[in-house]
Amino acid sequence: MPAEEMGKLTGRTRVIFAVSSVVFLAVLAISPFKDFRREWKQYKRSYLRFTQGRPDTKKLLADYRPDIDQIWLPGMNVVDRCTTCHQGITQASLADKAVPQPFRAHPPIPHNVRDWGCTVCHRGQGPATEVAEAHESTLAWEQPILPTRFVQASCGTCHYANLPQTPQLTRGRELLAELNCQGCHRLPGIERPVMLGPDLTNIGTKVRREWIYKWLKEPRTIVDKDGDVTVNGYETEEEPRMPKFRLTETELRGLSAYLSVQKAKALAPSKIDVRVVAAWSKNPELISQGELRFRQMFCSTCHSLAVTRAGETKLIGGDIGPELTKVGSKVSPDWLIAWLRDPQGYLPHTRMPRYGWSDEDLYKVTQYITTKLTDSDLLTGVPQLGQPSEQEIQLGHRLFLEKGCASCHLIDGLNPQRDFGPDLSALGGKNASDLEFGAAKIPHNLVSYIQAKLQDPTSVNTAARMPQYNWNQSDLDAITTALLSMKGAPATSALQNLVVARKEAAFHPSGLFAEVFERYKCYTCHKFNGYGGNLAPDLTYEGSRAQRQWLVDFLKNPQTLRPTLVLRMPQFNMSDRDATTLADYMTMVLQHPAANPASVDAKQFTPPMVALGKQLYEVKYQCQSCHTVGGTGGYVGPNLNNAGGWLTAAWIEAWLRNPQALIPDTIEPRRSFTEDEIRALTAYLMTLRQSIKPQKTARITATHAAAQGAGR
Amino acid sequence: MKFQVWIGALLLVTVVAISGCRKHAEAPKPDPLLSAYDTEPDWTDAQKIIPLDYQQSQGKRIFYQQCVWCHADATPAGPSNRSNLTPVPPVLNDGATLNAESDEFMQNIITLGGSALGKSAMMPPYGKMLSAEEIRSVMAFTRAVAQPAYEPPGRPASQYSPK
Repeated sequence: MPAEEMGKLTGRTRVIFAVSSVVFLAVLAISPFKDFRREWKQYKRSYLRFTQGRPDTKKLLADYRPDIDQIWLPGMNVVDRCTTCHQGITQASLADKAVPQPFRAHPPIPHNVRDWGCTVCHRGQGPATEVAEAHESTLAWEQPILPTRFVQASCGTCHYANLPQTPQLTRGRELLAELNCQGCHRLPGIERPVMLGPDLTNIGTKVRREWIYKWLKEPRTIVDKDGDVTVNGYETEEEPRMPKFRLTETELRGLSAYLSVQKAKALAPSKIDVRVVAAWSKNPELISQGELRFRQMFCSTCHSLAVTRAGETKLIGGDIGPELTKVGSKVSPDWLIAWLRDPQGYLPHTRMPRYGWSDEDLYKVTQYITTKLTDSDLLTGVPQLGQPSEQEIQLGHRLFLEKGCASCHLIDGLNPQRDFGPDLSALGGKNASDLEFGAAKIPHNLVSYIQAKLQDPTSVNTAARMPQYNWNQSDLDAITTALLSMKGAPATSALQNLVVARKEAAFHPSGLFAEVFERYKCYTCHKFNGYGGNLAPDLTYEGSRAQRQWLVDFLKNPQTLRPTLVLRMPQFNMSDRDATTLADYMTMVLQHPAANPASVDAKQFTPPMVALGKQLYEVKYQCQSCHTVGGTGGYVGPNLNNAGGWLTAAWIEAWLRNPQALIPDTIEPRRSFTEDEIRALTAYLMTLRQSIKPQKTARITATHAAAQGAGR
Repeated sequence: MKFQVWIGALLLVTVVAISGCRKHAEAPKPDPLLSAYDTEPDWTDAQKIIPLDYQQSQGKRIFYQQCVWCHADATPAGPSNRSNLTPVPPVLNDGATLNAESDEFMQNIITLGGSALGKSAMMPPYGKMLSAEEIRSVMAFTRAVAQPAYEPPGRPASQYSPK
């Protein structure tokens, strides 16, 4: 190479060298520049700028650090860097809606955000330092942020016990239990009751094959696409328990054939005394008397009937037992009599109490039911099925097991398959990649999957065995929340210690009381030590509250104590022996330590105390705003017309001191009465007496009509 | 040579531009109703749904347990007790009356009862039954359902001098 050319080349090399070093420097500079531009650092700086414009800058920057903030909960396996960007999360002055995210303060909640972090409740990727990675589902982290309307699911992950603060979660758990989801699925914390659906061992003695066919084709309780529930075509708020199965004509014929031959036990002798029949069968008042008796027994506390008022037909009554508008066309008359006499003889686990019927009443009521509560069109569209053939019965038997009927319904001698549906106890923690989405065009995440499956099981799996339910949006969200809360057993012992266990409530009396208690099924409506229904007052401490004689009178002839209550206690036609057994047990056993009836002697009350008490009641504390005495006063508390004949003095005193100590969720506000005021008020209330007269039929009809007028 | 310089310059610009212009993912902006802890229909217009945050929804729960009997026209158990009372208590969403009351007054009347503040003794005190936190949540619920809507009073004068 010539020398001059070498010089040229050197010049060129120099230029190349210069350019490449500039490029090299620039590339080196990219790294710190990129670091400077990192998302979380930008948010850090923008928070600094944001706080400069506010009056309380110093306070807002008190714990500001320019690097990543991290909350580490080793026991819960949580690393949470959310507060790196959400820096104002605990600053009360940033609670205003006008404050831009991510700096806005979190609304007040029971857990301190600085102690627990965000992902414990909201999910998402805690260690992430980029917006998208933290909030959305990524390949490495498939737990995106939980939409806030399901956030109560996270409460349920540790709080197995029901919290008053999480109504949606509680509703979801109730729905899972009420709809018998645990018949097929394993669900933690939801116990499998003794009976899910009705026991079908003797169903052939109750209904005809045609009725079974119709029921299987179109269950009586139907929910339309908007979630409106209808029973027998009438609108109601009842929960649909029997879902709709997708059955073919052959399957319907087979199942109805198989069920109609289930007559393991013949009906108990159920004939009504011939003299009663002879005396009443020609009486024109038979049906109207039957209807009256039906109402007097307060069957509507548990059962509903369709009532037409002002052109609108609505179901009115309780939803503990089935709706009865068309029951006369459904059940066989002999079965009805046997059932009403002894419900447990047909269904050992039924909640229906055993009433003390006289033959006359039984005849009148059953005649009313079989003549008036009927619908001649009930079986329209059902083909004549005739006698079931052996082949159909065989098919029905097979289907009963294959379709999972046996998971909810008992038939003697049939063993249901255990865990018929998938175990759902860890569903809430599943990654989207663990789920089958099939051909469904839905976003691939857990929430969409659960909702799609609940709305239409075949949408994600065409071969799904799960029956079709229809929901309204709020029930769908509630059930989704409950399912999302089930993230499986806690993985670490530290987590296990966090779990707030579900409270096991039990009340198992024994002896003579237990027999009567079981016969009248008191626990269907009343609560005892946390066990039982919600329809009627909690009786855990009834022995401290009520006087024995009042209890006996009430049991024999129940009265309503609260003027606004629509439902009330049925008249059981209780014998003296049963009533005294119940009253004796309650006064002896169901006592609160703070209210021992023997501890306060009513004789100590003097007329001046009574006068002072009356003054306090009417003027100083104005108790009449909620309680009625002598026809005037409020609707909220029980009426006190007979307080002296009903309550014990010890209970009134303890109650005035602290009502919530006796009944935790009572709405009577706790006051700061002095002991003298308490004594005086008790003295006054103990003078209020009113004898309970036997009810006149006319009055019952009037109250019942009024109750129906109020509607539910 | 000119060619190499161009290449170099182009490379430099591209690299800087690419590294600087990375698009930031937008934080998801959910519908306020879908991101609400709970909701309550507007009492005067059932079509309008008011989103509630955690505190307000706790207030809703306590309201429907304790207050609904006298401060609403319909209750879960049927007719309201309002008509039995003189003076007739305000309905909870009555913004025309309640918006004018300060938070302090509301807190006091719920805690101490009507007679302590020279109002009707029919309003009982709840200070021994509800915690201060629960009373605040009831107030938050009151403010959320108020019609006309509640406007919080202006921010109190700052104790710091603005820079």
